Amino acid sequence: MTKQTLQLALEPYRVLDLTEGGNMIGARFLGDMGADVIKIESPDGSPSRIGPYYKDICEPEKSLFWFAYNVNKRGITLDITCEEGRELLIKLVQTADIVMESFQPGYLQSLELGYEDLCKIKPDIIMASISPFGQTGPKAHYKGSELTNWASGCYLYICGDPDRPPNWISFPQASLHAGAEASAGAMMALWHRNLTGEGQYVDVSTQECVVACCFNTPEMWDLNHVEFTRYSKGINIGGNTGVKITCVFECKDGHLILVAQGGVQPFVNSMAALAQWMAQEGMADEWYMSLDWAEDYNASKLTQEMIDKVESQIIAFLKTKTKKELYEEGALKRRILIGPIATAKDVCENAQLEARNFWVELDHPELNDTITYPGPPLNLSETSISYRRRAPLIGEHNSEIYQGELGMTAETLAELEAKEVI
Amino acid sequence: MERKKPFDGIKVAEFAWVAVGPQSTKYLADHGATVVRIESHNHFDLFRGTSPFPQNIPGLDRSMFYGKYNSNKYNISLDLNHPEGNKLVWRLIEWADIVIESYRPGTMKKWGLDYEAVRKVKPEIIYLSTSMQGQTGPSAKYAGVGSMISAVAGLGAISGWPDRMPSPSYGAYSDYFCQRFNAAALIAALDYRRRTGKGQWIEQSQLEGSVYFVSPVTMDYSVNGRIMGRDGNRAPCAAPHGVYPCQGDDCWVAIAIQDDQQWRLFCEITGNTEWVANTDFSTIAARKQNEDMLDKMVGQWTSGYKAEDVEVMLQNAGIPACVVEKSSDLFKDEQLQHRGFYTWLEHPEIGKAAFQQQADFILSKTPREISKPSPCLGQDNEYVFHELLGINWDDIADRLADGSITTGLPDGVTFSTNM
Repeated sequence: MTKQTLQLALEPYRVLDLTEGGNMIGARFLGDMGADVIKIESPDGSPSRIGPYYKDICEPEKSLFWFAYNVNKRGITLDITCEEGRELLIKLVQTADIVMESFQPGYLQSLELGYEDLCKIKPDIIMASISPFGQTGPKAHYKGSELTNWASGCYLYICGDPDRPPNWISFPQASLHAGAEASAGAMMALWHRNLTGEGQYVDVSTQECVVACCFNTPEMWDLNHVEFTRYSKGINIGGNTGVKITCVFECKDGHLILVAQGGVQPFVNSMAALAQWMAQEGMADEWYMSLDWAEDYNASKLTQEMIDKVESQIIAFLKTKTKKELYEEGALKRRILIGPIATAKDVCENAQLEARNFWVELDHPELNDTITYPGPPLNLSETSISYRRRAPLIGEHNSEIYQGELGMTAETLAELEAKEVI
Repeated sequence: MERKKPFDGIKVAEFAWVAVGPQSTKYLADHGATVVRIESHNHFDLFRGTSPFPQNIPGLDRSMFYGKYNSNKYNISLDLNHPEGNKLVWRLIEWADIVIESYRPGTMKKWGLDYEAVRKVKPEIIYLSTSMQGQTGPSAKYAGVGSMISAVAGLGAISGWPDRMPSPSYGAYSDYFCQRFNAAALIAALDYRRRTGKGQWIEQSQLEGSVYFVSPVTMDYSVNGRIMGRDGNRAPCAAPHGVYPCQGDDCWVAIAIQDDQQWRLFCEITGNTEWVANTDFSTIAARKQNEDMLDKMVGQWTSGYKAEDVEVMLQNAGIPACVVEKSSDLFKDEQLQHRGFYTWLEHPEIGKAAFQQQADFILSKTPREISKPSPCLGQDNEYVFHELLGINWDDIADRLADGSITTGLPDGVTFSTNM
């Protein structure tokens, strides 16, 4: 056995991961920070082994989605719905600090595996449950899905083109938010337990996670009864004036975000720098150059007429530039607030990510291949995040955990496998 | 006796602004930590100039967008460009367990307050820096906000309709997941320090956080060469799957039918039993193939109902359906009320307003709680400098006199707003 030489922030802790879908990102992040995460899936494989697939081969062991959200976890199979499976889960809970799960509220209680049940076995256990609306309340029993959860938190309503239905992000997001949030909640409970010896229950609401994305729109209603509606090309300015500025523009070879606001920094300097660039290329008229971006272009004074007049010149200018020119010359050199709308290819070729050694190569011996993974969402200087293992195959660590850690005999393991408990 | 909160006694010095930084520490503030924001009248949070303002009248202490991310926190107005202010701030750093900053890389160094400098004085400090693209590399000094970095991370290109230009999601999208990782990492670092006595530097690039969040998108490109596109509201393995019009002004319902059994149930409940027998729709493959027609049919049916009624009708049968809630709906939502998601507090400048919880979870024994509205600029100068840091009144008076503790906007500067 190779001895772990790195210092890991969460090395002493074990997490049992019974979540599915995007929720799996939560236990993954705890695994990234060093926790010993055991992913538990049903004997026929998790329903989260979904596309996109490696080389488009639609098989459970080729799911890139699974790979992505289960790095740094070990994996076992277990049918928790039968008595033998339930008993094994209980044994595992005795060795764990945190249990994360995303079943329909009430489901684990029906198997006598709810928080109260687990407390009887391990009083200081921490359980983090993720559900569409939370465990109790009038909508707790509602069925969820990525799209309907997204709708429940208002963020869907404020996204999309005004002349079409509200519109989500084509790669589903709601459960990723809730999974990440569960990692924060579980950490908080762990901190409390380490200080007091007391475990507790963490009840994550996906709906609330989605409301959190809503920028200033809930407060616009609460304070001034302004109902923001979707305007995908830009943002609403100045409270209830109905004035809108554009943020999404076309350039020579694609699209970009340009935050064409004034009033305060950093917007004022950005607009001034853009004006200077436009003037140097003969694409800003005298009126445009006479504008004071702090005084004339602030939210209290702005009119739609003025915005349209400014933006028509910006639109013409941006069409003469490529994404690369706008980023390198515009954003980096001239400090204009520009963000090119990057495709997946652009992201993979991003020079900054390359320079920071963001990408991590992980061996997949079973595929006889190496796969490039995005690096972690942050770095810790003392307890560096490393990718210690790729996502587990179905039941990959059954023998290591059931025999090696729970002391099960090879015969019993074979028997339970035959009965499809494992 | 009041129950102890998990972060009672944990002290945070916050040199952060806008959304990601202030949210990261608000998790701790809402669970007991003492968080002190350092701003000044020369250098204050951008969100102080961002709507909404009560009666739509702007003011330094009137933004409820600032309010949202800063309730339960303290605030001092200290000019870090002033030599005396820069000296005084070290008292706060010495006091703190955690320093957090979210300025453009290089800003803290300019003030001599970067991690290396702080660690020399206080090795056990936990210091978190979050920025657009990280502290190193050719784009380190990139200036931007969340909407831009979401685009650079590839999220804009996968939002919208296949026949149109991208329609990136509203606001500063990446600001709303990066903070979740920060909160978890801060606590992990606190626990590591508890075990070993060692502090550390947490460094976040929000670009990297975003690419990590949607890892399969870039993996699909690097493995399969596929550039993920935009697909409206559709999903590969569900149909009907969309947002459908309902009675009322701009009212919508989201419906996701995930298998054939749900489809048959849907047809029965909606009284469209003739759809069941129609082979154009009987299997998921068939429904995906005829999805344009399917969406039209479903939309015609939903148009006859209120969104709330469709939600209840379908949910009663176990089919995922939800009203596309508007901002106004959030404050009527009985589920959010049940969980106490909003706390109404009286703010001296804003009046009564709904403060939103930072944690989207409830801890059963030490639940989230908002007890203090967001601070006015400099409102806690006396409390922080005198009570928390033990600085005597004479010294505080000197700092007020030399202007390092600021009390008003600089001469000739008027308060301005960005949106």
